[in-house]
Amino acid sequence: MPDIDVNAPGTTVLWMGNEGIARGALEAGVGFASAYPGTPSSEILPAIAEVAKRMGIYAEWAVNEMVAMESATAASLAGIRSIAIMKQNGVNVVSDFLANLVMRGIGKGLVLICADDPGPHNSSNEQDTRPVAKWLDIPLLEPGDFQEAKDMTKWLFDLAEEINTICMLRTVGKIAHTRGNIKLGELPVVEHKAHFAASYGFRGAGPHAELHKKLAKAQEKFESSPFNLYIGPDKAELLIIACGASWLYSQEAVRLMNLQDKVGLLKMGTIYPLPEKFMEKHLKKASKVLFVEEVHPFVEQGVMELVGTLPPSGPHPVFYGKRSGHIPAYGDLDPSVVIKAINSIMGLNYQTRDAEYDKKVKALAQSYVTARSGTLCPGCPHKASHWAIHRALQLTGHEGFGTSDIGCYGGGGVGSFGITKTHFCMGGGIGVANGFGKLGRFGFDQPVVAFCGDSTFYHAAIPGLIDAVYNGSNVLMVIFDNSATSMTGFQPHPGTGRNAMGEPAATVSIEAVCKAIGAQVVICDPFELKKTTDTLVDMIENKTGVRVVIMDRECELIRARREEPPYRVYVDPEKCLGEDCGCDMFCNRVFLCTGLTWNRQTGKAEIDDVICAGCGVCVDVCPHGAIIKEPYTAKGKEKVAVKGKEKLKEVAAR
Amino acid sequence: MKKLKKDPLNLIIIGVAGQGNVVISMLTCNALLREGYLVTFGQTYGANQRGGPVMNYVRVSQEIQCSPLLPDGTADVILALEPVEALRMLAKYGNPNVTTIVNPRPIISIDAARGDSPYPDLDTLTQAIKDLSAKTWLINATEEAQKLGNPIVANVILAGALIGSGILPLDKKAMETELRERFPRAIDLNMRAFNRGIELVSA
Amino acid sequence: MERRGAATAVEVKASKELFKEIINAGLCSLCGGCSGSCPYLVSYKGRVILMDNCNLADGQCHEYCWRTYSDLDALNQKVFGVPYGESEMGVFKEVFLARSKDPDIRRRSQDGGTVTTLLTVALAEKMIDAVVETKLDADKRPHGFLARSKKEILECAGASYEPSPVLETLNHLPKDSTDKLGFVGVPCQVSCLRKMQLNPPRNRVNVDNVKLVIGLFCGWTLAQGFHEFMKEHFDLSNAIKFDVPHSPFHTYDVYTESGKQSVELEDIRSYINTACSYCFDMTAEFADISVGSGRTAFKGWNTVVVRNKTGAKLVEKAKAKGALETQAIPEESITNLKRASLGKKKRTLENLIALSGSKKDLGYLDVSQDFITRFLS
Repeated sequence: MPDIDVNAPGTTVLWMGNEGIARGALEAGVGFASAYPGTPSSEILPAIAEVAKRMGIYAEWAVNEMVAMESATAASLAGIRSIAIMKQNGVNVVSDFLANLVMRGIGKGLVLICADDPGPHNSSNEQDTRPVAKWLDIPLLEPGDFQEAKDMTKWLFDLAEEINTICMLRTVGKIAHTRGNIKLGELPVVEHKAHFAASYGFRGAGPHAELHKKLAKAQEKFESSPFNLYIGPDKAELLIIACGASWLYSQEAVRLMNLQDKVGLLKMGTIYPLPEKFMEKHLKKASKVLFVEEVHPFVEQGVMELVGTLPPSGPHPVFYGKRSGHIPAYGDLDPSVVIKAINSIMGLNYQTRDAEYDKKVKALAQSYVTARSGTLCPGCPHKASHWAIHRALQLTGHEGFGTSDIGCYGGGGVGSFGITKTHFCMGGGIGVANGFGKLGRFGFDQPVVAFCGDSTFYHAAIPGLIDAVYNGSNVLMVIFDNSATSMTGFQPHPGTGRNAMGEPAATVSIEAVCKAIGAQVVICDPFELKKTTDTLVDMIENKTGVRVVIMDRECELIRARREEPPYRVYVDPEKCLGEDCGCDMFCNRVFLCTGLTWNRQTGKAEIDDVICAGCGVCVDVCPHGAIIKEPYTAKGKEKVAVKGKEKLKEVAAR
Repeated sequence: MKKLKKDPLNLIIIGVAGQGNVVISMLTCNALLREGYLVTFGQTYGANQRGGPVMNYVRVSQEIQCSPLLPDGTADVILALEPVEALRMLAKYGNPNVTTIVNPRPIISIDAARGDSPYPDLDTLTQAIKDLSAKTWLINATEEAQKLGNPIVANVILAGALIGSGILPLDKKAMETELRERFPRAIDLNMRAFNRGIELVSA
Repeated sequence: MERRGAATAVEVKASKELFKEIINAGLCSLCGGCSGSCPYLVSYKGRVILMDNCNLADGQCHEYCWRTYSDLDALNQKVFGVPYGESEMGVFKEVFLARSKDPDIRRRSQDGGTVTTLLTVALAEKMIDAVVETKLDADKRPHGFLARSKKEILECAGASYEPSPVLETLNHLPKDSTDKLGFVGVPCQVSCLRKMQLNPPRNRVNVDNVKLVIGLFCGWTLAQGFHEFMKEHFDLSNAIKFDVPHSPFHTYDVYTESGKQSVELEDIRSYINTACSYCFDMTAEFADISVGSGRTAFKGWNTVVVRNKTGAKLVEKAKAKGALETQAIPEESITNLKRASLGKKKRTLENLIALSGSKKDLGYLDVSQDFITRFLS
């Protein structure tokens, strides 16, 4: 992570869009930053937190997005520029608060950053948050590159203050996570002083009409905004209207196809409300308009709405985009999607590569490119927990299943033994299991295991658990406590004893909270497979009511940063049954750890020493004691290196 | 700043999560930035979970800020830390002029392990990669790294091979500066790895 | 005697077929023969569970299941040196009544404590090092147990009417174990063990280590939710003995320190394992020695069928050591025993024919058409 407080105006750096956003906030003189980790937004707050003490500002991981937004609002009301940062799902969590906030107005500049995940690549859903700005009646900007990520963030604080409402920046994963050139600006020196002016008084349900006036003011400013840009001829055959990463894709497509003289590019940065006069002027440039944007046809619909109000003499171009089917309405885009659309609209047949090569490469890939599903890391405690849950559900029968939510433990795909049957939002695991647990009165007798992470527990699981106790639900909850918010990059949370700025912090005990709510609580070490499985079976078969099993084992990736692996693990080929009856490649085929591999020549399992994390869990999975673990020593390491070389020779010989 | 032979120049650095391809992409990008180019370094990957492919797109231009993703069929160099991943990238971004630098050390996917999607024969695979590239270097980086004492520097050996290949407008010294900044403590090992990579492509 | 013979034995099948043809078809007697030797199959609380999918096309789980084809002649040859005779109750040398001389053993036992006595003698005489048999857990559910001492053998005394996957315990033993083993089981379990011994399985403990096989008479077991029924109706934690007394009684009795609780047999008939209605063997015909109750006429005694030299030698030793006392059994009782055994065979034939719809297809059971005609007439 770069130090984003480098005081070198005019210097160009290679930073992520997210780091640009963080720098933009610093350049705006932000004093208070609050966030909940959520990819692709996760790097913004840590970048601020890293320099917070030096800059005399405050940065925190809040327990969830609503708390983050509420805290940031308080700071704004007390006269400090504030920022709240989240991913698309976080905006859903905070939406009720926001819908009230907009009726009230703010104090100092207050900005909401939302990073969407078209694809989705790191999310449980694909969602476009831009329509939220429309129903909240707040100004919305979307950066088209990395420089703009910084510049827009900075400017939004000024705008928010000027019109006295919260302003929103929406970015997408491909801008947030991509590094590009950013030219740094000045860092102001601000001494933050908090005081809430009592004269504000109570303005609960403020006038909606006033909000519309604020929005009109923003729209007026957008008419001349440098964030909107036209590149191209005065008269074009085709006008492309694009925003976000789609603008970069469109620019490249046009350059590659050598159509700079025929195709105009209108890059939009002020997304809501659209600057109508500006749009009208540029819509006159071509009789065909193609919209390129990710997920929802937000700008597309906005322009159609506008054109619908124009007189017959006004521009009425033909529209291409998601509605016409030229641009997909889901998933993330790339330059090739734009090339295809331009080909189709302009009757061209531009190909980025030779047709013969294309045919050849696709055939070879079809034959030899093996699938590579993502899975849990080698040494991951969730893997062991999933194994125990899987075995327990198989043993207890009655078609038991897991209800999950967001976190490394959540997917339940390949390598998680298919135990997860529902996968919703944060806290959705316990919430839905709690509902199932009330269906006994209708004959429901299937065991249900609710999955929840440690960070998720604090975020959204507690109300579900309280409801389960209060309403007498029959539910078993497994909390995967790996002492970190691992999926988003190991951010601390209320259980870890430190805060976002690296200072010691009070610890909130999950066990104590569960017990106080009234649940039966058992703590397991998932690496003790048998004991954990037995505990789960006992919980399912012999106990009723609200039961919580806490799987207590640190994230392997954090452990590995600190120390050598606990064990050197290897396979005794004499004992390994391989494909024979009694095993049938059990470790490789069923347990599915990436550290386990198969020697096709000997027909025996092997450990890939480069991948293996040395957790030793597979030792207890092997039905015939063929996997062996030894304490990891320097000598053991040497052996691993020698063995690795031998294996390479073997691989080369294969 | 040298004029690029092609603008933009598109480099893909692909590996399996945990192999360290992001580190060498960063080194390369920082060196390019220092030279004054417009650099875009995009990534696609799954969650922070090891085992899945991680694609790095490094795009260099003197004219525009490139997009995070390159158009299909427009890669100039594919540097792969794993051989199947090289072919995966060729399928989408390859073209008759592409150069490939490949570490032929397989990492067996769980799909292959459970028998759903068999891992191809290594010779057939490397031949396919050669057939689809204008020029291919097979660099046994994992083995070489183990010879140097730590398999973790396989990525730096490949970075050396990349610089040694002369495709990028970067010389050895430019990368050395980045290595020193990135690995102040383990600089000796990393420098040996980097130089070994250069040797391997010069041989 | 024309039988199908080995032609059927070359079937290449595995867990998938085991579930389709046997377990899900109601033919599984829950003996434990298929489970415990691999990570896929587990016997748990009266069910055989496929924990994960096994891909093998040729699995020993299917091969050794007693409810898949077995070559009865070869089995009988292996144990008794003669082909399968299609007799009423298998090969035997003699039948008599017996009971333990140790009142403590008798008090703990179902009838006369003969099995417990024979096992303790076999252990003391170093004929065996350990016994694979059935023990009840705290929940009074039967499971396989490896008893290594007299104390542990005594803990296994007494009967359960629920199926016990005792062969799973045998399958769990380390492959390289050289312990000489005793085995106690009901007829299906004994038969399955003998099937393994005929063609020893790979990757499991050497089944030829089993040096003594004691069979228990069995008419049926109670499964399919019976344990839950018991839990609901009886105070199982204090139960010390379960019994189904012979006629004229028609009850299932549970004894506790404070007395006896009963249910009418009629009320629990629905829990009888359907698989038991396809069982051809009441007296454990492939055991070295088979033991049953002395029935009403000889309460507190066991009916003992000595089938081969191994059995005979053990009884002699037990008598010589003064551990076991015996008395002759009236001819009439032997006749009754044979009649009961025949009755089971006849009902099974009818049930198997009803199942397949053909007199020519008796599923797993390979007996001659001649025999079928003789028995059904």
